Amino acid sequence: MNSIKLFVLAWLTVLSMSLHAQDFVFNNGSEPQSLDPALISGVPEGRISMALFEGLTVNDPDTALPVPGLASSWTVSKDLRTYTFTLRETTWSDGTPLTAQDVADAWLRVLDPQTGSAYAYLLGDNIEGADAYLKGKGPASGVKLHAAGPHTFEVTFVGPLPYALAMLAHSAFMVTPTFAVRRYGPGAWTKPAHFIGNGPYVLKTWRPQDQIVVVKNPRYWDAKNIRLRSITFLTIEDQNVAFDKYQAGEIDYITDDSIPVARIDEIRLMRDYHHMPGSSIYYFVYNLTRKPFDDVRVRKALSMAVDRDELVRRVLKAGDVATAGFVPAMGGFRTAHGNGFDLDQAKRLLAQAGYPGGRGFPRITITYNTSARHKLICEWLQQAWKSNLGIAVELHNLEWNTFLDTKQKTHDFQLARSGWVADYPDPSNYLDMFKTGAGNNDGLYSNPRYDRLLARAATLLPGPARDQVLEEAEQILVSEDQAVLPCFFYVTRFVLDDRKWGGIHLNAIDLHQPRWWYRK
Amino acid sequence: MSPLPATPAASDDPLTNEFSQALRPVSLGADAWRRLRRNRMAVAGLVIIGLYALFTLAAPWLPIHPYAEQVVAHENLPPSLRPAGELMLAARTAYLTRFRASEDRAGFNAEERDELAEMARAIRTDPVHRRHYWLGTDNLGRDMLSRLLYGGRISILIGLVGTVTSMFLGILLGSIAGYAGGTLDNLIMRFVDIMYGLPYMLLVIIMMALFGRNILNLFVAVALISWLTLCRVVRGQIISLKQAEFVEAARSMGASPARIIFRHLTPNTLGVIVVFSTLMVPQFIMTESFLSFLGLGVSAPLASWGSLVAEGAGVMSLYPWQLLGPAAAMTLFLFAMNFLGDGLRDALDPQSKGRV
Amino acid sequence: MLRFMIRRALGLIPTVFLVITFAFGIIRIAPGGPFASEKKLPPEIMANIEKRYHLDESVPRQYVRYLGDFVRGDLGPSFRYKDFTVGELIADALPASMLIGALALLIAVTGGIGAGILSALRQNSWVDYTAMSLAVIGISVPLFVIGPVLKLYLALKHPWLPTSGWLGGRSGWLVLVMPVLTLALPYLAGIARLTRASVLEVLRADYIRTARAKGLSERVVVARHVLKGALLPVVSFLGPAFAGIITGTVVVETIFAVPGMGRLSIQAAINRDYTLIMGDVIVFSVILVAANFVVDLCYGFLDPRISYS
Repeated sequence: MNSIKLFVLAWLTVLSMSLHAQDFVFNNGSEPQSLDPALISGVPEGRISMALFEGLTVNDPDTALPVPGLASSWTVSKDLRTYTFTLRETTWSDGTPLTAQDVADAWLRVLDPQTGSAYAYLLGDNIEGADAYLKGKGPASGVKLHAAGPHTFEVTFVGPLPYALAMLAHSAFMVTPTFAVRRYGPGAWTKPAHFIGNGPYVLKTWRPQDQIVVVKNPRYWDAKNIRLRSITFLTIEDQNVAFDKYQAGEIDYITDDSIPVARIDEIRLMRDYHHMPGSSIYYFVYNLTRKPFDDVRVRKALSMAVDRDELVRRVLKAGDVATAGFVPAMGGFRTAHGNGFDLDQAKRLLAQAGYPGGRGFPRITITYNTSARHKLICEWLQQAWKSNLGIAVELHNLEWNTFLDTKQKTHDFQLARSGWVADYPDPSNYLDMFKTGAGNNDGLYSNPRYDRLLARAATLLPGPARDQVLEEAEQILVSEDQAVLPCFFYVTRFVLDDRKWGGIHLNAIDLHQPRWWYRK
Repeated sequence: MSPLPATPAASDDPLTNEFSQALRPVSLGADAWRRLRRNRMAVAGLVIIGLYALFTLAAPWLPIHPYAEQVVAHENLPPSLRPAGELMLAARTAYLTRFRASEDRAGFNAEERDELAEMARAIRTDPVHRRHYWLGTDNLGRDMLSRLLYGGRISILIGLVGTVTSMFLGILLGSIAGYAGGTLDNLIMRFVDIMYGLPYMLLVIIMMALFGRNILNLFVAVALISWLTLCRVVRGQIISLKQAEFVEAARSMGASPARIIFRHLTPNTLGVIVVFSTLMVPQFIMTESFLSFLGLGVSAPLASWGSLVAEGAGVMSLYPWQLLGPAAAMTLFLFAMNFLGDGLRDALDPQSKGRV
Repeated sequence: MLRFMIRRALGLIPTVFLVITFAFGIIRIAPGGPFASEKKLPPEIMANIEKRYHLDESVPRQYVRYLGDFVRGDLGPSFRYKDFTVGELIADALPASMLIGALALLIAVTGGIGAGILSALRQNSWVDYTAMSLAVIGISVPLFVIGPVLKLYLALKHPWLPTSGWLGGRSGWLVLVMPVLTLALPYLAGIARLTRASVLEVLRADYIRTARAKGLSERVVVARHVLKGALLPVVSFLGPAFAGIITGTVVVETIFAVPGMGRLSIQAAINRDYTLIMGDVIVFSVILVAANFVVDLCYGFLDPRISYS
C-alpha cells in the first residue's frame, strides 16, 4: 500500500513539475487600464491584448513584419487602396463562429465616438470615410469597410498606404467580440467569468495590482502550435523589485521597461541580457513660441553642445544609438544627419544670437517626468550645457499626469523630455506629428513647406520617390529648423534565458507576441 | 535676656526643603539645563548635533568638491584614500575583464585596449584625476561627501521646521481642546479627523503643482499634517491632568485658563511631548525622502539625505557606499536626536524639580 | 456610556460628509485629469468621454450626483481602470492591507509594550540600553532601507523567503513574513520607547508609592496599577498608527509587491482617478474614526479619572 502511495505521489510531483514548467511568469509593469483592445493605449495593456486577441495580421517574431493572422490571405486592388481579406474558418473561445461581420463590428466599435478609443485615430486617419464617423460628422455606414461574405472582409484606405498590413497587427485593429460587449456590457465582458476571445490564450484570473493569468485557448485556430500551458503577467511597477524577482528565479523574463537603469553595468554582464538597436527615439522638444527658443540659432547651438556619444556610452551604457536625426533608417529611408556635437560651431551660434560665452542667456528649464533614467539624462545635460556653453539650466521634475498636462495642454514649458514609439514601421508615423496643428505637436512647430512635403508623400506609392520626399521633410525638421533635439534611438532589449525559452527574439520595434513563445 | 539666634523653621521659610537644605529658586529652564548636563548620553547627542550643524552650515566654505559637479569618468568609485585616476583605471580594467569573460574572450580587443591606454594617458596629464573621494562617487561621478553635507542641510532644516510647526500647532490646539472640552473640543477634534481623512499624497501633489516646486513648499507640505498626532496626544494628557489638584489650586487662585494651560498643564505634559517630537523628526526626514522617491522632493541636482538613500537603496548590492554613507549620516543624526530627546524629557520633568 | 457611544457613532456622519466635500473640491483643483495620455485624444472624443463620466457638468452638480450615488452605496466606476468599479477595487485591496497591517500592529504592540515595560523596570541596565538603542535604530532607518536589506539577506543571498508577491502563489504564506516584519519594526520601536517613557513617569506617581507602601508585590503593582496609567499615551498613539499603517504602507507594498490600499491610493492620486481617490478617502476616514472611537473607549477603561460627561 505504501509503495503505491509513494508511486502516486512521485508521479503527481513529476506531473505538477512538468505542468508547472510550461507556465511562463514575467512582470508586465503597471496595472492595465482595461483588457478591451479598443480602449487601451499603453505597452503593458498591449502585451496582454496580444495574448488574448488577434487581428487580421500579426508580427513575425524576428522581422516584426506582418504575417497572416486571422486572415489567411488577401488581395489588393490596382490602386493599392482596397484590400480584400479571406478569413480562416475558426471560432471564438466559446464556440461561436468567427465571421467577417465580427471584423466590421469590431472596427466600427473602435470608431464609434461613444467608445472613446485612444487609438481610434489610427482607423480614422487611414480608412476612407472613417474620420467623419469618428468626429461625429457622418454615419457608420459611410465608413468604407464591410463584410462581403461570411469569411470575406473588404476595406478601402484613404491612399496607397505602404504600411497598411503592418498597421493591422496593432491592437486597435484586433477583432473583439462585439456580441459579447453588447451582451455583458463594458467592464463585465473582460472579466474571467464572461471572457470570450479569439487569441492564443484566454483569461483565467485577474487580480488587480497582483497578476493576470491566461491559459491556452483550445479553440484558437493554431492551437496545436501553442506550447505554453499558461502565462502569468505580474503587476509590479518598481523596476528593482521586478529585477530582484528575476535574480531569485521567480520570474522568467524581464522586459525593457523593467530593467533598472542604475544596475545596467551588472546586467550587461549577464548571459541572459540581449539587446539590439531599436527604432524608438528619445528627444527633447523645444517650445518654439517662447524665448529664447524662438531663435533657431539658439536651438542649434544647444543641439551642437551635446556630446551624445558620451551620453550613450559613458552615462547610459546600455547600447542606445546616439543620433541627431529623428527617424530611424528603415527600408530605403536614411536618417538625417542633423546637428551633432560641434562645440566651436555651437559657441559661435550662441554668440551670433547675442549671448557670447553664455552671458546674458536667460535661465532655461528642462521639464521631465519622474523616472530614474530621465533624471540621470537631464542632470547630465544640465551640467554639459553649463560647462560647454556657460548657460544656467534648471530642472523641473513633474509626475506623469501633471507632466502630460503641462506638455500637451498648457504648453507651459521651454524644453520638455519626449519619446516616440512608432505605431507602425513607416517614417511618416514619426514626421506626421509635427504638422501644423497636429495633436501631438507639443512644441507648436509650424512650417508650411514641411506640411506640403508630408501631404505630397501621402499621395505617393512606396518607393525611392516617397523616401526622398520624406527625407527632405526630416532635413527641414532637424537640420534646418531644429524643432526638436534628438538624443538617441533606444536600444531594444530584454533579459531571458534563451536556452530555456524560445519564441522571443530581438526585433526593432520591440514587439513580442505571446503566440510564438514556448519552452525548449 | 538676649534673643536666641533665629533658626529658620522648615515650615515658614519657603527656601529650604524638608532636609533644611537651602534652595535657590530656579526656573524650570535653568533646572532642566543643570540636569541635562549630567546625562552623558544626552550631552553626547547634543555634541553630535552641534557638529552636524557646524559642518552642514559651513559646507560652502569647506575644501570639498562642488556637490553638483559631474565627472562622468569617475562614476561609481568606491570610497578610498587613493587618487581617483588610479581607482578609475582599476575599476574599468576589472569590468572589462568580466565583460570579456562573459563573451568568452581570452584577451581584450583593440577597442578595449585603446580605451585603457587612453585612460592611462589621461591620468598622467589631467589634474582632475588626482582628486580624492573619501566617500566615493555616485553614478554621475559626483562626490558623495559633498552631497552628504549639502543633503544634510536640507534634511536637518526639514526636520527642524516640521518639528517646530508640529509642536507649536499641536500644543496650542491640543491644549485648548483638552482643557476647554465641550463644543470647542469637538470642533477641533473634528477638524483633526478631517485632516487625517484627506489623502496626504494627493494634497502634496496638488500643492507642488499649484505653487511650484521649491524648498519652501516642501516645508509646508511636510508640516501640513505633522501636528495632528501631537495634538491628539497633548489633548489626551491634558484631559487626564485637568482634574488634578494643582489645577484646582491654580484655578482657585484666579488663574485664567490660558495661564493654567500654558504655565501649569503644559509643562506637565512636556515629557511626552518631547519624546513624541523626537519620534517625529525621523518621520519628517523620511516623509521628505518618500516625496523624493515619488519625484516630489528636492529638485535635481540638489540632494537630501532622503533622496540619496532612496537612490542608494536601489544599487545596494552593487555600490553599497552610495547607501551606507547617507544612511549612516541620517541614522547617526537621528540617534543623537533621540538621546537628546530622552535627556530633555528627564531634565524637564517638573516632578523631579528641587530634588538633589 | 451607551449615550456616549451613540453620540460618537452619529458624529461619524458629519465627519465623513465633510471629508468628502473637502476632498472633492481639492482633487478638482489639481492640474491634469484622468484621461491624459501620451497620444493625445482628439477633442471630439474627449468630449464624449467627459460626458460619459459627467465631467462636463458643473462641479457642484457632479458633487450632488456623487453624494446621491454614495448614499445608495455606489462609489462609481474607476476613471482609470475602465473595467472595474471603485467598490470592486477597494474590496480587493483592503483585505491585503488590513492583513499585513493587523499582523504588523500585533507584533508591534506586543513586542513594543513588552520591551518598553522591561526597559523601564530595569532602567539604566544593559537591557535598557540595548533595547532602547535597537529601538532608536528601528525608528531611524527608513522603510525603504530595512525592506531591501531584509530582502537581500533573507531572499536573495539565501533563498529562504520569496522576494515579493502575495498569497496564492508558490510560496504560500511565506510572502507575508518580510512585509509584516518591515512594517512592524518602526512601530515596535516607537511603541517601546513611548511605553518606557510613560511607565517611568507613572512609576514616580503617588498612587504607585501607595501601592508599594501597602506591601503589594512588584508584579501586582506593575500589572494592576502601572500598566493602566502608563498605557494611555501608547493607546492614543495606536489610533493614528493603525490608520497610518493601512494606507501609508506604500513603501512596503511597493517593495514587496503587495496588492494593497497604499499602492492603490498612490496610483489613484497619480492618475487623478477621481472616484477611486474619493473611495479611498472615505474608507480611510471611516477606519480612522472607528479606530479613534475604540481608542477613546480604551482611555475610559484605563483611566478611571476620566468621566464621559
